[in-house]
Amino acid sequence: MFFFGNTFAQQQEYYFNSPGNICYFKYVCYTQTNIYNSIKQPFIFVLGKSGETANEAFTEDTLKNLQAFNNYMFVYLPNKGNNAHDKLQCLDAFASLQTYNYKYGHSNLFLTVNDPEISQSDISANGLNSIFKNVRLASPGTENISQEPSIKIADDFKETHIIYEIETKHEDVEYGTYYTEDESTESIENDQSVKPKKIYFGPPASYNFTLTGIVRDKSTGEALPFATLMIKGTTTGTSTNVDGYFTLLKVPSDTSVLIAQYVGYGNTGIYLTPQTPKKNFTIEIQPSTQNLKAITVIGHREDVVITDKSDVGTVKMTPRKLELLPNVGERDIMRSFQLMPGVSASNESSSGLYVRGGTPDQNLVLYDGFTVYHVDHLYGFFSAFNSNALKDVELYKGGFESRFGGRLSSVTEITGKDGNQNFFNMGADISLLSFNAYVEIPVGKKFSSFFAFRRSYKGFIYNKIFEKFNGSTSSVSSVPQGGGPGGRQMQDISITSYFYDLNGKLTYRPTDKDIISLSIFNGTDKLDNSSPMHAFSFGASNSDFSMNSTDLTKYGNIGSSLKWSRKWNDKLYGNTILSYSNYYSNRDRSQERTVTSTSGETTTSNNGVFENNDLKDYSLKTDYQWDIANFSQFQFGGFGNFFDIDYSYAQNDTSSVLNRKNNAILAGGYLQNNFKLFNDKIILLPGIRTSYFQTTHKIYYEPRASITFKITDKFSLKGATGKYYQFANRVTREDIMSGSKEFWLLSDGNSVPVSSSVHYVAGLSYEPDDYLFSVETYYKKINNLTEYSLRFNPSPLGTSYDENFFNGYGYSRGIELLAQKKSGKFNGWVSYTLGEARNHFTVYSDTYYPANQDVTHEFKIVGLYKYKRWDFSVSWIFATGHPYTAPSGAYSITLLDGTTQDFFTVTSKNSLRLPDYHRCDISANYKLLEGIKGDKRRRELGYIGFSVFNLYDRKNIWYKQFTIEDGEIIETNVNYLGFTPNLTLSFILR
Amino acid sequence: MLIILFIIMMTAGCKTKENTEFTDSPIIESYLEPGGYFNLAVSRQIPFSSDVEYSADDIDNLAITVLYNNSSVVLTPLGNGKYADSSLIVTEGIEYNITFSYNSKNVSAYTYIPTKPVNMTQSATQIYIEKTDSTSGPPTGTMPDPVKISWDNADGSYYLVAVENIETTLVPIHDFGDEAPPGNIFKKAPTKSNSEEIRPMDFQYYGTHRIILFHVLPDYASLYDQNSTSSQNITNPSTSIVNGYGIFTGLNSDTLYIEVKKK
Repeated sequence: MFFFGNTFAQQQEYYFNSPGNICYFKYVCYTQTNIYNSIKQPFIFVLGKSGETANEAFTEDTLKNLQAFNNYMFVYLPNKGNNAHDKLQCLDAFASLQTYNYKYGHSNLFLTVNDPEISQSDISANGLNSIFKNVRLASPGTENISQEPSIKIADDFKETHIIYEIETKHEDVEYGTYYTEDESTESIENDQSVKPKKIYFGPPASYNFTLTGIVRDKSTGEALPFATLMIKGTTTGTSTNVDGYFTLLKVPSDTSVLIAQYVGYGNTGIYLTPQTPKKNFTIEIQPSTQNLKAITVIGHREDVVITDKSDVGTVKMTPRKLELLPNVGERDIMRSFQLMPGVSASNESSSGLYVRGGTPDQNLVLYDGFTVYHVDHLYGFFSAFNSNALKDVELYKGGFESRFGGRLSSVTEITGKDGNQNFFNMGADISLLSFNAYVEIPVGKKFSSFFAFRRSYKGFIYNKIFEKFNGSTSSVSSVPQGGGPGGRQMQDISITSYFYDLNGKLTYRPTDKDIISLSIFNGTDKLDNSSPMHAFSFGASNSDFSMNSTDLTKYGNIGSSLKWSRKWNDKLYGNTILSYSNYYSNRDRSQERTVTSTSGETTTSNNGVFENNDLKDYSLKTDYQWDIANFSQFQFGGFGNFFDIDYSYAQNDTSSVLNRKNNAILAGGYLQNNFKLFNDKIILLPGIRTSYFQTTHKIYYEPRASITFKITDKFSLKGATGKYYQFANRVTREDIMSGSKEFWLLSDGNSVPVSSSVHYVAGLSYEPDDYLFSVETYYKKINNLTEYSLRFNPSPLGTSYDENFFNGYGYSRGIELLAQKKSGKFNGWVSYTLGEARNHFTVYSDTYYPANQDVTHEFKIVGLYKYKRWDFSVSWIFATGHPYTAPSGAYSITLLDGTTQDFFTVTSKNSLRLPDYHRCDISANYKLLEGIKGDKRRRELGYIGFSVFNLYDRKNIWYKQFTIEDGEIIETNVNYLGFTPNLTLSFILR
Repeated sequence: MLIILFIIMMTAGCKTKENTEFTDSPIIESYLEPGGYFNLAVSRQIPFSSDVEYSADDIDNLAITVLYNNSSVVLTPLGNGKYADSSLIVTEGIEYNITFSYNSKNVSAYTYIPTKPVNMTQSATQIYIEKTDSTSGPPTGTMPDPVKISWDNADGSYYLVAVENIETTLVPIHDFGDEAPPGNIFKKAPTKSNSEEIRPMDFQYYGTHRIILFHVLPDYASLYDQNSTSSQNITNPSTSIVNGYGIFTGLNSDTLYIEVKKK
């Protein structure tokens, strides 16, 4: 929007918007009194006859001279376009534009339309009834209605006298979330059009200025990261940074309308006025009270309103209203991501994300700036992140920008809650699986704090369900093959364990420009997968044999970050983070074997796997963004990490197989620039990241770029490419017998090289109102992968297990389709991913073989439906089974002393597939509302949620476990969760 | 459009060769000792799955070619998967290669015959052990010193000591209760050392024992790497065999004797 003041005679002429805009036109303002800046004037908008200019409409109009309207402001608009929609489409934005401090309000805004082609239904269709107190139309056939003024017009457009009240800057903060139970026909579809108070209606006072400020949640005061701000009627916009701050360069005028958009909050209109502060402007938004908005999961770039993000393949979620999705007893942000295309959903045992054929360790997880190395609770059924403690999560599925590094595939950026800045608040959830509570304590205006604690337990119903559907049912299928080794026995085992986690965040805002925050995260898991094995009489052994299998794992994360953010000036923003992250894992998977001989003697031996992993990451990093011009934002930063990673692995209580201790410094920096060209139609983000790795004494360069073309408002094309290095890798230790496991190692530049990848991503999206259709395709080449296997002896003299690291390469490629209905009573999405992940390790095979995480087809459907206080949801997931390797046969060799030794052969690497994975989950939530006297609205107290995980009790196989006893193979199917209902009760104080 | 081309390019691509579940690879078993006939045995794996199809190759009628010293010979099938060539006497220091076709793949292996152990000595030629039984309680006297077997091992080769009682009737040193009597051979694990100790309690029977010192190759030693038959991991012993499993190794030995006498 662009205005040029041009005064002649009494009337004044202005331009609305700038050339090229659909809503670019000249308009005329007129008052009889020559007062143009009153905030108490009634207004009459006059839309001329078809094809008329504003001046012509002004000249022809006679209303302006009526005595009844002597204190009125007249605004004349040209009548452009061929149909009613074209003619009226700009009126909303135009009228909205001028109305912040205008206290005279809706009651004194009128519209007269001199075009007989425009009917009342056209007015309604363009939402103008809610703006104007009265709209007077030209009757069909009447040529010159405006020239026959009557008393009726004066009545229709009568001024309503309202006593002007001095604006109170801070009205009562409305606390909590409110709903109106709308019994009548709900107009759900109008979530795009927010109709706030239009209180200023006058000409703008300044143009082309820079607006800076912060976007907050109105009730909690939480700064909202990555919220989008748009100037209405234009493609100009920006988004807030991680601390909620924004800088909007070249705002056309101080009567422009801003649209703030944030996932879960819908769109909010903000009406600027000449009185609006240009600096440190606080925009407060809150979830809509009128309609129960559905959870909006938007592919960022796909959303037409968001113009500042040039990210390709970005998914954004807010933990707010996450309970609407089906879950396994906990709202889980990582699980919810798994419902999106390109993120595998068939890994119940991993909250870590398998993004586009990548493994979870290739996904960088940043929590308040520090890296989290292990995101699993309870075998991965829950993520390490308590959704009550989270404010915002973004997932970059590939081709991500230079400010992130150290990972091959993807980035998950998590921002924790700062805590309510206005009032004390607390809340608690209790479900059949866990207890979860949080508290928010503000101290004064400058200090806020947030603490959350969560712990799982095995309650009565949990146990009952668990035993009923996951009990040890043994099925024995022994297939003797000519005696000797051979034959398989099968049995199922179940799992017991607990976890807890603690999140804390202290935030201090000494000035308007500084934020200092300390974030602490601790999560601990104790997993006990021990089971007595039902051992039968094996073969020809004439002694009794019993075995107790211990499988005890304790692991956890401790992480902390101290962050200082400063807004140096309107254009320069930076933050510095000092952080520490520790991941540890101790695993004891051993078998205590007791053999009772026929003479009654018993001997006991311990045999198994003892595995310890300890990772420490000390990090200092700084990130800056400098808004050079409205088409260019320069971002730069530096980082330094010190890694200290230990790993030990032993097969018996005595012998250590592998013992590694590595530490090194990784340091570097990055530069990137976000260009918005051709009216923001093209967004280009080139960048480079450079790292020096102490171990290899090498410098690694990572050039990256992404581009987005907005072909139309609804249709865009995008592409990205980039080079990525990873220095700390989670290495897979191949274990055919009991399921492969992973451990973290730091590259040693030799047997564990620095891995690298190259991404190519391309996509297109089409987003008509309320829907989103998107296609993305990717190709990712990965080099220097490392696996550890004891299956091979790499050299004839192979007694050093250090040699058992094998290196290979691989690729993944695929195509992702998404169709989403974004709003309405019934909404949801359907996604399909066709993918391929192949690895090539010469030691396993001389050809490419399916990688462990390879899933060919993955289909996901999510449906959400709301009815009054109820929210229902259903999801169904289908995925091709994972590949695995199994023992395939046996042979015996006679040794020189005449005794024989049995050996086992395996199938070629990953040549077998587990059965297809599929599962249906449902949930229903009932809102608990509290009525307020004299208020139609009701405050949300919490909800009761009922969910069923794995509705039809599909026995999905997690992995197969093999044990060899006296030449027989015992094959155990370790299953994922069966039918698991859950009940959740959630309360919030405010 | 470019994008569509790109998508096609990414998703089409070449189809990689499918791996199979069970590969019918032959098991080769051959210990080549100097002075003996060249012989080996071929067998099949025992599959765990019942619906596995073996290849059409006749295990008793394979054309196994031995290559040595620039000459070659095709082994004669003896039945039951055994093959030999009576004209081919295994000789120390010579490298032997075998090759044959099985399941449409070329199976090959190689080995050489290591040197005969040098300077094999023993610390004693006879040893006195008290007879004990479960009724008389623990032995009262002192145990004699272990017998030390030494040899030269400058290059750190693998050696293996096996001890065999060669009496026709076995006289136990102590009664075995209800347990099955042990065999007449016991062995030590392969060692890269130049000596091995035989402890008195290793002996189970009285009489003359043959102490065989094998000079073995690393692939044979790796057969002992299996920590037990219930190994957590499947480790295929390292071998020179390509497209097959088993052992194809050369060895050489020397022998001493020791007398175990009643105290």
